[in-house]
Amino acid sequence: MDNTTALLFEVFLETASFWYIIVPTIFLGLIVGGIPGFSAANTIIILMPLTLAMSLQGGLVFMVALYCSARMGAGIPAILVNIPGTAGAAATPLDGYPMAKQGKGQQALSISFVASCIGGLLTTIIALAAMPILARVGFYMHSTEMIVVMLFGISLIASIAAQDMVKGLIAGFLGLMIGSIGTDVVYATPRGTFGFLELYDGVPLIPALVGLFAVSEAFIIIEKKLIVTHEGDVRKPSWHATFEGVNIALKRWWHIVWTSIIGLVIGVIPGAGASIASFVAYQQSRSFSKTPELYGTGHPEGLIAPEAANNGVTSGTLVPLLVLGIPGGATAAIMLVVLQYHGVSFGPSLFENQPKVGYGMFMAMAISYVLMIFTILPLSRYMSHVTTIPTIYLAPMIISFTLVGAFVPREYMFDLYLALGFGVLGYIARRTGYHVAAILIGVILGPLLEKYFLWSLKKSDGDIMVLFSSNLGNILWLCLLLSLVLPAIFALQRKRKSQGIPIQ
Amino acid sequence: MTLKPDAPKRQLGGELVIPALAIAFTLYFFSTIWNSPWTAQVSAFLVGGILLFVCAIFLVRVALMLRSGQGTLGFGNLFTREDIRSGRIGLFATTIGYCVLIDRLGFTLTTFLFLSISMYVLSKGRNVGFITLISAIMALAGWAVFIWAFDTRFPRGWFETTMKAVLANG
Repeated sequence: MDNTTALLFEVFLETASFWYIIVPTIFLGLIVGGIPGFSAANTIIILMPLTLAMSLQGGLVFMVALYCSARMGAGIPAILVNIPGTAGAAATPLDGYPMAKQGKGQQALSISFVASCIGGLLTTIIALAAMPILARVGFYMHSTEMIVVMLFGISLIASIAAQDMVKGLIAGFLGLMIGSIGTDVVYATPRGTFGFLELYDGVPLIPALVGLFAVSEAFIIIEKKLIVTHEGDVRKPSWHATFEGVNIALKRWWHIVWTSIIGLVIGVIPGAGASIASFVAYQQSRSFSKTPELYGTGHPEGLIAPEAANNGVTSGTLVPLLVLGIPGGATAAIMLVVLQYHGVSFGPSLFENQPKVGYGMFMAMAISYVLMIFTILPLSRYMSHVTTIPTIYLAPMIISFTLVGAFVPREYMFDLYLALGFGVLGYIARRTGYHVAAILIGVILGPLLEKYFLWSLKKSDGDIMVLFSSNLGNILWLCLLLSLVLPAIFALQRKRKSQGIPIQ
Repeated sequence: MTLKPDAPKRQLGGELVIPALAIAFTLYFFSTIWNSPWTAQVSAFLVGGILLFVCAIFLVRVALMLRSGQGTLGFGNLFTREDIRSGRIGLFATTIGYCVLIDRLGFTLTTFLFLSISMYVLSKGRNVGFITLISAIMALAGWAVFIWAFDTRFPRGWFETTMKAVLANG
């Protein structure tokens, strides 16, 4: 046994001894992840005095466990009531909610938990093993390459628009326009703000998420007595349904593996994040599926892809933090502050000077995922009860607790009204056949796309050909092109096969 | 595309609301960047131009459908009598009230009032006792978890201030 293996084993034992912190933190993370506005980052900020009072290892274990469980918790309301807890879970209801409406909420939760835990665990191990290589990904991804990554996410709009292309594109591009509100990144010129100072920083994401998904959904569900489509679908919760979901997920283990790796690679890129990863993973999953027509109707693979990917992001964001000292997201940035308070200096020297901290973060993540599957899976039978609460009680609860969540991040009353405005927009969109997810994708990715686009143009003095100036960028363009063209070719092949016409 | 003779016609008036909003917003957006530096314009003109183009395609499609009698300019998919019967309009009114009052009354009291009134509206006045009880429990649970335990930045009113003073003085 060499030194590193011995060290890893020692770190594993030490981290496992903090189970009494990890288990309650998992439940806390599930709650904060499930309520829009209460991200893991906000909770760590709120509980920072507690974190600082803990030992270095205790604080580290607490933050990592909260980070992982909040990511998983965001998927629970997304599946049960069509309300993603965070933007990272915005692709989860596309197939999770239809399953819940069909009375398969318990199976959907189990699929989501298994995909999240296996995806998170696997990418943690890969990140630990391939850290030096992964850390270089951040160096190679410049603005031009990032534009292609964004376009991978935006191409999901085209998938969503498959049923009515024109309406899907209107929803997606309206989202992109809304995402452009705010000052421009170079000269800070206010654009489309209606004179509101609160919009100078752009449209805040949480009110958009709350309005488009939660408020509009609450106004829709009151048409029915219960969320499940037929009252006959309300089944008694049983272990059988839980294991059925586990079985469905495990049978698609390869799907979990490759979609979580998409999450890991995107997570390594600073600023990319879980929302892009889950959209890209969903889009790629649909593109290369043998049954793309089932996506959006409650297809397990459409649920596995975003959940595995957004949990793959959790380990990915730690890589630039530990190796380069660059936080990959908001939570990683807060972790950086807390750990620096404890005297930890990040960067290449971390694994030489304080290897236990570096390895300890990944070990805490791995142990959290293992403990999570055993603590959360049994709860899925009780959680699925949400779909059987009469909507006359559920709708007002959804509105009150999510609207106030829109207030929390910035403490502006304006954000409450903004969420209500997005709620009205979402309601009109749902009633008239426009997809709210397409609008949200635009709101999330619009400002990022513009930022990278402008950086590229500034770098090249306005020459648009800069987008095709790097080898990595060109490879990504080719991948994007293939991911758009190949599904059409596969679909044509399937159609010909089903018609018995030989392919020439 | 042909419709069966007895099939209901598409309510295209409702479907035009989002494109109309999109066109109006895009034109307003363009007006705000008309004299701005090119860095503020380039992306917005590109995205807005595509949006206007797609909306134009949709308008042409709607015109063709209207001409062939496949749809009407009705808003039946957006507003119906069901909105009054189901309590949707009442729920919307209480939601606006919630946004207005929460700044003055604080989270707990406003949540209690909102939950109880909206549930009364949706249940058409049935189960008044149960609704009052469940509204009180939810509002107090929200206060206990988010304000008392985690000190979250929820809007505060006299209830929160009073409870803080009571708890601080034992």
